Amino acid sequence: MALKRDFYKGLEDILGPEFVSDDPVITETYANPVRAGLPTGARFEAITLPKNTEEVQAIVRLCNKHKVQYKASSTGWLYSDPAGPNCIKIDLRRMNHIIEINEKSMYAVVEPYVIGAQLQAECMKRGLNCNLTGAGSNCSALPLAAHVNLGHLSQSGSYGERNQLALEWVTGDGEIVRLGSLGSIDEWFCGDGPGPSLRGIIRGNTMPLGGLGVYTKAAQKLYHWPGPATFPMEGVSPKYKPAYIPPGFLVRYFSFKTLDLMIDAVLKIGEAEIATELMCFNAAMMASNLATQNMEEEIEIYNKFKDSVLGPGFMVLIAADSARDFEYKKRVLQLIVDETGGKALEEVEDPENQGGYVWRYFRETGSIKETGRVLAPQAGMVGGGDSFPLMSYFIKSCSKVKAKLIADGSLFDDGTSPFIQSIEHGHTGHGEVLARISIRVKDPRQVQRVINNASNEIAIKEFFGVPQHVWSDTLHDMYGPNASNYHLWLRKIKKTFDPNNASEASTYITAKE
Amino acid sequence: MIEKRKLVSIVSAGNVISEPSALEQYAGDMSFVNKVKPDYVVKPRKTDDIAKLIKLARETSTPLVPVSSGAPHFRGDTVPGVGGAVVVDLSGMKYIIRADRLNRVAMFEPGVTFDELIPAVTREKLRLNMPLLPRKTKSVAASMLEREPVLMPKYHWDIADPLNCVEIIYGSGEMFRTGAAAGPGSLEEQWAAGGAQVEAAGPSSASWYRIIQGSQGTMGIVTWASARCELLPSLEEPFLVGSSQLDRLMELVHWLVRLRIPNECLILNNCNLAAIMAEKWPQDYKAIKESLPTWILFYNLAGYDYLPEERISSQVEDIKDIAQRAGVEPAHTLGGVSAFELLKVVQAASAEPYWKLRAKGACHDTFFISNFQKVGELTDTMSGAADKAGYPVPDMGIYIQPIVQGANFHCEFNLFYDPENARETGRVRALATGTINSLMARGAFFSRPYGEISRTIMNKDAATVMALNKVKMILDPDKIMNPGKLCF
Amino acid sequence: MALKDYRRDMETCRRCSPCKFMPLEKVTGFDRINVCPSISRYDFHSYSAGGRMVMGTALLEKRLDYTDKLLEVIYNCQMCGACDTSCKYSMDMEVFESLDEIRISCVEAGHTNPALDKVIKSLRKQGTMVPGAKIKRGDWAAGLNLKDCSAEKVEVLFHVGCQTSYNKNMWKVARATAKILKKAGVDFGIGGENESCCGGRAYHMGYKQDFLDQSKKNLVLIKKSGAKTLVTGCADGYNTFKVLYDKFGLKGKLEVLHITEYFARLIKEGKLKPKKAVNMTVTYHDPCYLGRQGEPYIHWKGKEVLGDLRTFEPPKLYRRGMYGVYEPPRDVLKSIPGLKIVEMDRIKEYAWCCGAGGGVIESNPEFAMWTANERIDEAGSTGAEAIATACPWCELMLGQSVKSKGSNLAVYDIVELLEKAV
Ligand SMILES: Cc1cc2nc3c(=O)[nH]c(=O)nc-3n(C[C@H](O)[C@H](O)[C@H](O)COP(=O)(O)OP(=O)(O)OC[C@H]3O[C@@H](n4cnc5c(N)ncnc54)[C@H](O)[C@@H]3O)c2cc1C
Ligand code: SF4
Ligand code: SF4
Repeated sequence: MALKRDFYKGLEDILGPEFVSDDPVITETYANPVRAGLPTGARFEAITLPKNTEEVQAIVRLCNKHKVQYKASSTGWLYSDPAGPNCIKIDLRRMNHIIEINEKSMYAVVEPYVIGAQLQAECMKRGLNCNLTGAGSNCSALPLAAHVNLGHLSQSGSYGERNQLALEWVTGDGEIVRLGSLGSIDEWFCGDGPGPSLRGIIRGNTMPLGGLGVYTKAAQKLYHWPGPATFPMEGVSPKYKPAYIPPGFLVRYFSFKTLDLMIDAVLKIGEAEIATELMCFNAAMMASNLATQNMEEEIEIYNKFKDSVLGPGFMVLIAADSARDFEYKKRVLQLIVDETGGKALEEVEDPENQGGYVWRYFRETGSIKETGRVLAPQAGMVGGGDSFPLMSYFIKSCSKVKAKLIADGSLFDDGTSPFIQSIEHGHTGHGEVLARISIRVKDPRQVQRVINNASNEIAIKEFFGVPQHVWSDTLHDMYGPNASNYHLWLRKIKKTFDPNNASEASTYITAKE
Repeated sequence: MIEKRKLVSIVSAGNVISEPSALEQYAGDMSFVNKVKPDYVVKPRKTDDIAKLIKLARETSTPLVPVSSGAPHFRGDTVPGVGGAVVVDLSGMKYIIRADRLNRVAMFEPGVTFDELIPAVTREKLRLNMPLLPRKTKSVAASMLEREPVLMPKYHWDIADPLNCVEIIYGSGEMFRTGAAAGPGSLEEQWAAGGAQVEAAGPSSASWYRIIQGSQGTMGIVTWASARCELLPSLEEPFLVGSSQLDRLMELVHWLVRLRIPNECLILNNCNLAAIMAEKWPQDYKAIKESLPTWILFYNLAGYDYLPEERISSQVEDIKDIAQRAGVEPAHTLGGVSAFELLKVVQAASAEPYWKLRAKGACHDTFFISNFQKVGELTDTMSGAADKAGYPVPDMGIYIQPIVQGANFHCEFNLFYDPENARETGRVRALATGTINSLMARGAFFSRPYGEISRTIMNKDAATVMALNKVKMILDPDKIMNPGKLCF
Repeated sequence: MALKDYRRDMETCRRCSPCKFMPLEKVTGFDRINVCPSISRYDFHSYSAGGRMVMGTALLEKRLDYTDKLLEVIYNCQMCGACDTSCKYSMDMEVFESLDEIRISCVEAGHTNPALDKVIKSLRKQGTMVPGAKIKRGDWAAGLNLKDCSAEKVEVLFHVGCQTSYNKNMWKVARATAKILKKAGVDFGIGGENESCCGGRAYHMGYKQDFLDQSKKNLVLIKKSGAKTLVTGCADGYNTFKVLYDKFGLKGKLEVLHITEYFARLIKEGKLKPKKAVNMTVTYHDPCYLGRQGEPYIHWKGKEVLGDLRTFEPPKLYRRGMYGVYEPPRDVLKSIPGLKIVEMDRIKEYAWCCGAGGGVIESNPEFAMWTANERIDEAGSTGAEAIATACPWCELMLGQSVKSKGSNLAVYDIVELLEKAV
C-alpha cells in the first residue's frame, strides 16, 4: 500500500527530502535481514531519519493524524522488527549524542544511536563503566533500545529496568513526557516521581519493542571501572591482544559435575560479592570467543574444551579495586570452587587468552561470533527473571526439549546448552536456551513452533514465570490468564498512551478489544 | 454515605470503627494538612475482605484511605483528602508469610512492623535494608511503598529497592500480583518450582510495582509485599568520621559508595546524631551535640561467610588511603558517640518516644533527592531559608543519605518544633512551604511530595501529571482510592 | 565467480552493523568511530555494507531491479573495504568481494553510471583513468634518463600509474621515487608510453572485462622487461598487481612491492640512508588499498560443506585485514631523522578513506570531498603539521580538501619526505 502523497509530503516538510525515502532500494534493506532459510520480511512504506526529539514528535503526530503506523529503531539489531502494511520506520541513527556523563553522580545520558562501545569508552576515561546489552557494544547504548538490556556486567551492573534514571519519551500519540527529575527540574538523575513512577509504564523486564512510542534520550546509572582509561589492546583485527592484563583483573572458567553444584557456586560467589561478571557460558561460547580464523578453528577449540569440562559451568571475571581487594577475592573464589568441586578450564588462564577474554567480555564483542557464524535460523527459549535457581531449572527443563529435537535432526547440536546468568550478585537470574534449526529442515518455522510451544508449556505448567520471549497478542493472551491477567492491564497501557494504535506493536501488545 | 452494616458484613462488627473519638485519631496527623474526619475506619484481615471493600466503595462512590502503619502519622497521606471516606486500616494484617535464606527475600503483610520482621529474617540469617530509625509503629511494606531511603546504599541498586513484589487490589476491584509473583502458578506452586518472587519488574513489558510505589494509596490496596533482604554479616566494624566541612565527607562518601565498600553509610549533622543517641533529655542531647563536629559520616564494614576478618581488614586499609585524600580520619568513637552503639541503634526501629519527637514534641521533615554536586548548595539554601524564617539553624536536623548506589542523595531537614507553640509552629509551616521553589531552582527534586506542598511540586510538570492521571484512570477509574492526594 | 556465487556470503549478514564502525575492541572514545563513508554521509542503512548485502540478495531474487536509485546507492561507496575488515572481526563472509560482484553485475546487465562510463571510455581509448589527459604517460620522466623497460631488461619495474603520470602536480613524487631508486643503485626501468593502466580502478567500478583487457597489456610489458619485481607508488596499482592479478591467476612469480615496502627494505639493508633531518610532525594516512586491501590474496579452491556451520573443504582462510601493509610506510617515516609521527584515531585496518576510491571522485565529487574533509579534520586534531600518505589518489583528494578548507596542513607522499632526508 503506497503512502498518500500529502502524508509523504508532510514527512518531507518535517525532515527535508534528504531524510525520508520510500524507494524500494531503501526500504528493502530495512526489511527483516536476509538469512539463509528465513522468509524475507515485508518492507516499511518509508524510512525516516529524524535528528531530534521535535522531529520525532512531528513524525509521530503526522502518523497519528493520517492513521499510518510507525516503528522506531536505534541501531536496528533486533530480529523481530516487523513492518506491517502502512507502517513507516523511524530510524534514530541521526540522534547520536552523548548528552552528559556525570562522573560524581555516576550517570550518563545518551541519545539512541550512541553505541555501547562509544559510551563505555567515554566512561572508562572517567573511571566508570556502563552495563551493555549482551548483544554487544555494536548495539545502542540506550538501555531502552534493547530487548532486556541484560549483559555481561549484570552481575555487578544490573540491567536496564533498574539502571534507568530520567528519560524523554514521545508517547504513542505524540506527547513528550519527561520522566522524573527531568520533567520537574530539567535534571537527569532520577526517573521516578513526583509520586508514582512512570518508569513502570515505559518498560517492564522486557521492552515494548517499539510498540509504545519512541524513547529519545535517557539517563542510566554507571559503575566504577577499576581498569585503565583505554584498554591496552594491540595488534590487528581480528587478532587483538592486550599488552598486559591490568592488575587486579582475572578471568576463569569453571565447570561442575552437576547443575546443582554449579548453582551452589554461583550463589556463593554472589553472596561473597567477588565477581564483576559471571555468565554461565558453555564450552562452545568460550571457544567461539577465542577463534579468529574460521569455523574449523572454532570447532577444534570447542572439541578440546568440550572434552575437558565436567558439565555445566561459568565464566567468572574479577576486576578488583585494589591489590588487597584482589587478594581477598581470589582467595574466596578458590575456597568456593574447592567446596563445590569446580574444575578450571586451563586454556582460559593462558595470559594471552585471558587478556583477550577480559577485554572481549567487558567490551562485549563476542556475541556476534557466538551466534553469527552459525548459518541456521535461530530459535530460542528465553526465560524470565526471578531467582537464579528457578531460571536454572527452567533451562534444565527446556534443555530436554532441545536434546530431543537434536536427536530427531530438527536442531543442530551446537553444544550451547544451558546458558544462565546471575544478576546483582545472585539476587536474580535469567536463563536462555539458544537453538539453531538444522539447515536440513525444510520448514524452519515448524521447528520454531515446536520449540515455542514446548517452552511455553514448560513455563506455564512448571511455573517458571512469564518468559522474555513473550511478545505478540497471541503469546500475551496465552500467558495473561495464567499470570494475574497482566495482558489486560498491558493492553490498557497501550490503549491509553497510543489510542490510535500508531506505534506498531505486533511485538508488544496491540490495542485490540 | 456507606451503610455501616455493609462494612460489618465484610469485616465483622469488631473491625468497623465509627465512634467519633476513635475516628478523630484518623482525622489528622502531625503534618500541616487540614483535618478531615473519616466516616468509618475498617480493619480488614484478609485479601478477600479488601476486595469486597473496594467493590462496595465503587458501588457507593466512597473514598478509601489505606493505612498500614500505626499512629503517629507525619505526612498527611493517610488523612482523608475529602469527606465521607473510609479508612482501611491494615495494621492488623501481621502475618509474615515467608523468609527465604537461599533467595534472600522475605514476604509479609502490610501490618508487619520493622521490629516484628527483623527477628523473623534474622532467624534465617538475613537482614533488611532499613530506613533510618523508623518509628515503632511503621509498616515495613508502607516504608517500601513510600520509597523511603535506606541506610545501605550499596544494596540500593534502584530507587525502588528493597521492594520486590506485591499483591494489590486495584481501585478497579481487580486483584493483581506484580513481578514474578504474577504467575503462572500460586505462590506455593512457584516456591515448589524454585521461584521466590524476587523479580520486581514485569510481568513482561510493564513494571507495575513502580506505579504502586509513591502513589500514596491512590492506586489500590496492597495486601502483601516481598522485600529484598541481604545476608546477615558474620562480622561488622563501624566507623565515624567528623568534619566541619560537608564537602570533605561527601568526597569520602562518594568513593565509599562508588567502590561499594560499606554497608550502612550516611551523613548526619550533630543535631540529628545527638537526637538519635541521647537518652536523658536535654542534658545528654546538649552534651553529645557539643562534643561533635557539625557533620558526621557513619559507615559500617561487614564480612560474611568467607574470610570476614580479611575482608574487613583489607577494606579498612583501602579506606585509609581514600580518607587521607579527603583529609579526614575515620575512628570508632567521635565526641561522645561510639560507632558500635550507633550501629546497634540504627539496626532497629526507633526506641520510644520516636527520636524525632524527643526534642520538642513535633517535627516537620523537608526532604528531596538530588545528585552529588548539588547537596552542598542545597544544604546552604535550606539553612539560609531557615535563618531568614527565624528558625534556629543550629537546631535543625540534617540527614544526607546516599541512595541508588551513589547516583542520588536523599537530603532531609528535620525541623523540630513545639506543637503547642503557635508561633514556632507557624514559622516551621511557612518555612516548609516557602522554600520549595528556591530548592527546586537549585536542583532539589521532590520525588515524594506529601501534603501541602504536593500541588506546588506536581504543577511543575504538566506532562507527567497528565500521564499519571491517565494511569490512574486505568487502575482506579472511579477515583475511589485516597482522592485529593498528589495530582489526583 | 559471479554475484550468485556470493549469495551464501551475503545471506550470512546479520544486520549487526560493525561494518559501520571501527572494530569495537579498538574504540577508545565517542569521536570518529565510523569507518564507512557511505553510511556516514547518507545515513540510510542501505548505504552500509550490511544494506548492500541485502540489496545483492534482493537483486538475485529479483526483488530489486537495477534502478537509478539502486545505482546511486551502489556507486556512492568508495570500495574502501573498511566494512569488510570490521565485519570479519566476527564473521566468516566475503563482504568486499560481494560489493565488487554487485558492481560487476550492474555493468554486465548494462546499468552503469554515466560519469564512470566516461572514465572507462578514456581507459579504452587512452589507457588511463584520468580522462581528457592532454599529456603523455612518460612525460613526467623527461630529463631523468630512466631505462625504458619495454626495450631493455631490468631487475625492477617501476609502475607509475595513471594519476601520477597524468597529473602534473604528482610528477614530483614519481621524480623523487626515481631519484631515490637511482641513489640506492637499483636497476630499474619504467614503461613510459608502454605503461598502461593497471585496470584495478576499473575492476572496482564493476568493469571487470576492462580490467582483464588492461591486465593483458601490462603482462606483456612485465614479461618484456624481465623484471622480477614490480614496484609502484600507487596503492590502487599495488592492490591490482598484488591482489587482483593474483586472484585471476595472472601474477605468476612476480614480486609486487609498494614503493614504501621497497624503500623500507633498502633502508633496512643499509642501501638507503636517510640522514638529513626533516623537523616536522607528521601524521600518516593509510591508503585503503595499501593497508587493509594490500593483504595478499589467498588462493582457495574448494566447496562449502553444506551444514549448519559454515565450513569448507578444505577449510577456507579469510583475508581479514591482518596482513595489510601498515608498518613499512611507518618504518620509512621513522627512519627520517627529526620527523615525529603522531597517529590519527582511525589507522591501519580501520583507517578512514580519503574519498577518492570506487569511482566516487568521478561520480560524486562532492561526496569524495566530504570524505576527504573528514580525514583532514581528523589529521588536524592530532596537532601534526603535515599529513603523509602513500598513494597519488589519496594525495590528490587530501590536497583538494586542505585547499578548500583553508587548512594549514601540508600534504606529502612519503617519498617526498624521504627525498628530503636522503
Ligand atoms: C545475537 C544477539 C544476542 C542478543 N543478546 C541479548 C542480550 O544478551 N541481552 C539483551 O537484552 N538482548 C539481547 N539481544 C536482543 C538485543 O537486545 C537487541 O538485539 C539489541 O539490544 C537491540 O539494540 P538495537 O539498538 O540494535 O535495537 P533495535 O533493533 O534498534 O531496537 C530493538 C527494539 O526496540 C525498539 N526500539 C529501539 N530503539 C527505540 C527507541 N529509541 N524508542 C522506542 N523503541 C525503540 C525497536 O522498535 C525494536 O523493536 C540479542 C540479540 C541478538 C541478535
Ligand atoms: S556486513 Fe557484516 S558487519 Fe555488516 S551487518 Fe552484515 S554481518 Fe554485520
Ligand atoms: S567499501 Fe567503504 S564506503 Fe563502501 S560500504 Fe564498505 S566501508 Fe562503506
